[in-house]
Amino acid sequence: MSILSLDFLGMALAALILYYALPMKIRWLVLLAASGLFAALAGWQGAAHLAGAALLSWGGGLLLEKKRSRWILAVCLVIDIGAMAFIKYYPTISGATLFVPLGLSYFTFQTAGYLIDVYRKKVTAERNPLKSLLFAGYFLQLPQGPISTWKELGSQLTEGHRLDPDNIASGFQRMVWGYFKKMVLADRLAVMTDALLKGEDMPGWFVLGGVVLYAIRLYADFSGGLDIVRGISRMFGVRLPENFRRPFFADSVADYWRRWHITLGTWFRSYLLYPLVTSKAAVAFTKAVTPVFGKKTARALPTAFATLLVFVLIGIWHMASWNAVIFGTYFGLVMAISLLLEPMWKKINKGLHLPKKGWLLPFKLIRTWILVLIAQYFAFTFEPAQAWSLLQQTFANWDFTGFAERCETVMPVLEWIIAGSAAVILLVIDIITEIKNNFCDGLAKPKWFWIRWPALIVLIVAIAVFGCYGEGFDSASFVYTQF
Amino acid sequence: MKEENRQEKSRARVLTGFWVRTLCFVVLAISALGYAAYALIPKSDYGICSMLNFYNQPRDSIDVLVVGTSIGYAGVNTNVLWEEYGIAAYDLCSAEQPFWITYYQLKEALKTQKPKVILLDAKPAIYTQDYSKKGRIILSTYGILSPENRIAAIKASLEDQSKLRDYILVFPVLHNGYNKITEDMFAFPPTNGDRGSNWKGFIEEDAVEQHSRPSFVWNNVRRNINAREEEYVRKIFELAEEEGIPLFVVCLPNPDYNNDHMYMNYLWSIAEEYNVSGIEGEIGINYNDFELRYGLRYSSCFADWQHLNVKGSIIFSKKLGEDLKAWYDLPDRRGDEAYSTWQAAADEWYEKLPEFESSGVEAKQE
Repeated sequence: MSILSLDFLGMALAALILYYALPMKIRWLVLLAASGLFAALAGWQGAAHLAGAALLSWGGGLLLEKKRSRWILAVCLVIDIGAMAFIKYYPTISGATLFVPLGLSYFTFQTAGYLIDVYRKKVTAERNPLKSLLFAGYFLQLPQGPISTWKELGSQLTEGHRLDPDNIASGFQRMVWGYFKKMVLADRLAVMTDALLKGEDMPGWFVLGGVVLYAIRLYADFSGGLDIVRGISRMFGVRLPENFRRPFFADSVADYWRRWHITLGTWFRSYLLYPLVTSKAAVAFTKAVTPVFGKKTARALPTAFATLLVFVLIGIWHMASWNAVIFGTYFGLVMAISLLLEPMWKKINKGLHLPKKGWLLPFKLIRTWILVLIAQYFAFTFEPAQAWSLLQQTFANWDFTGFAERCETVMPVLEWIIAGSAAVILLVIDIITEIKNNFCDGLAKPKWFWIRWPALIVLIVAIAVFGCYGEGFDSASFVYTQF
Repeated sequence: MKEENRQEKSRARVLTGFWVRTLCFVVLAISALGYAAYALIPKSDYGICSMLNFYNQPRDSIDVLVVGTSIGYAGVNTNVLWEEYGIAAYDLCSAEQPFWITYYQLKEALKTQKPKVILLDAKPAIYTQDYSKKGRIILSTYGILSPENRIAAIKASLEDQSKLRDYILVFPVLHNGYNKITEDMFAFPPTNGDRGSNWKGFIEEDAVEQHSRPSFVWNNVRRNINAREEEYVRKIFELAEEEGIPLFVVCLPNPDYNNDHMYMNYLWSIAEEYNVSGIEGEIGINYNDFELRYGLRYSSCFADWQHLNVKGSIIFSKKLGEDLKAWYDLPDRRGDEAYSTWQAAADEWYEKLPEFESSGVEAKQE
């Protein structure tokens, strides 16, 4: 069941009514039932896998609490992550076809994180297997995350919430905004990716424009989907963690990754990067290389290596392909090099009295955009050669003759106007939110209804009229659902 | 305890405010969506407008209600019926409308009108399709305002029932047409294809195509009509019977009639079962009958292979009016203030008549 379907909205509405109609203590059972239904409708194999992962984390958690053993943790993680890796990568190696459960990566990371947290004694193990099941398979997280920790989500899911008008208003607002981003903007721009993949003899401006639009599309698609599920979840009183913080306002690649797919980055930082950097081997390595590179560089080296490794893994997590490896390695290298060069940049900045923000900010934004865009060439293509060819074309021919005709081969003028208007709305909202972080939540307050209501009604009508759905469209899937 | 009570009261007040606001928002949002859906619906006079405009007719004012296909709205000239006989007729027809839509349209129409006779266009008897295509469904059902009849008509038209919800919600089937929206599609009520609010459903086909009278051996051989068409035409007969309204089957003149004849024989046999009209033993009239001579020229009275043109509609409607007057007690409404819109519609149309190429009337010299 796609979260863009009316069936899904109907199910969510029914669950919402039932949730608030039942006594507080058993409200979480509504979420469990909805999650069970959602998972089952996506395929019984996936539901069974999800249940298995949940039971493993429940049993493993109890065992780990009883006996804090590395071996138990390792066995549980190997089974949990191994199953994910097998389903994700075995078909690529063998050519076989396997059923991929909905939200495989998300519930795997979530249950693995829970086991590690129990091992680290950050959380106590859950006694009730049904609650563990709900944590692993909360239906609003399955399509594309976010990846939550037990600390963030566990009690929220099961404690039951009173009907809070602010939550409903804020959640509904977020949900509508998400549908707008996904259905009016992201799916409309999807044709541009096809044009790039199928195009021949494309001028440089067209390729670059296409890659920029792909980046916007990906952001609108992924963050739109997250807004939908976070909005609906908020209506239940369950606050899912933020996964995006306006990534295109990042002033460095590191900042970009703190703003893009935040929960994935947090997961890798918490459960892989920090353990690697603080491991005995890393400490010993630092000691060994200090005489050669000096104290600062020697300290940065293990972090740089660990960052590179983490990003290679993030790349592979996206897909078992060379493009994904290059994508991850590229970001890893950029991050590692910037880490190693950080002391030097600091010296230069200090020497030249360069401000941290102010007039330098546009330069930093553009620099980050360029670095991120290079990676996008590998994100939507299937082969490195294809990405490389597009990169070469970008610098080849900047002849603007036939600009309008070429744009019209992608989609008619009216579609460009709609996409452009939606992108401008997105940009304006993002700029406002960047300046005033709680702008959207503030808008949900009753006193602002005279702004919120017309805006929401315009968005709803825009989705209904200009949204990409129904006959002639295949927009049921999100880019990140496949991961 | 007091503090608790105070908090409870405060929460109750907050929640009441919330529910009131929610209700208001839902009403506003649905109204906005409803208007957007209305704007998306093509205001075609070939179906949708004739139904929407039908609701504007004064209650129980229509004496002759014509239901059926484009052959009906192009052939039965309501202006001629009024001008010549003072008959208050209305063409509630749409292009290629099958009996299953006519049935629900008729149910809808009879909610506000009690005509003295219903003229049923016989043409759908020759249709072979079991279901309707998307464009035709929109054209024929989106003018019906009451949900029960609109949904039933769509349901009857759809082969793939899983699409029913899409058609009911309008947007999934029509929203891709936003690039075709014109300013007049927002007008409420619709402009009826610039025909004005007095219009009575007649749509002239203004072209001349030369044909000859169908040549074949008149016979009584029956050819089965489509089973679903039969099912619904029977329902139409039963409905008319229940409502106590005479129903008259009319087969309009048609150059291609030789292909239709055996289907018409079958339809007539069904009609006979119901004895729907019972006037002088007639259950309808087939205006293709070789013996009927009333001045219709196959060489100049048709716009194409099945539709009468302006001249043809005038000649045919004069004959039809004569027959209707002879068989039914139809009052002459001319001069009645309550029927001023019929007079206005006829005046407007006759004024435009010389402009039609196929009218056979010479345009006035300036």
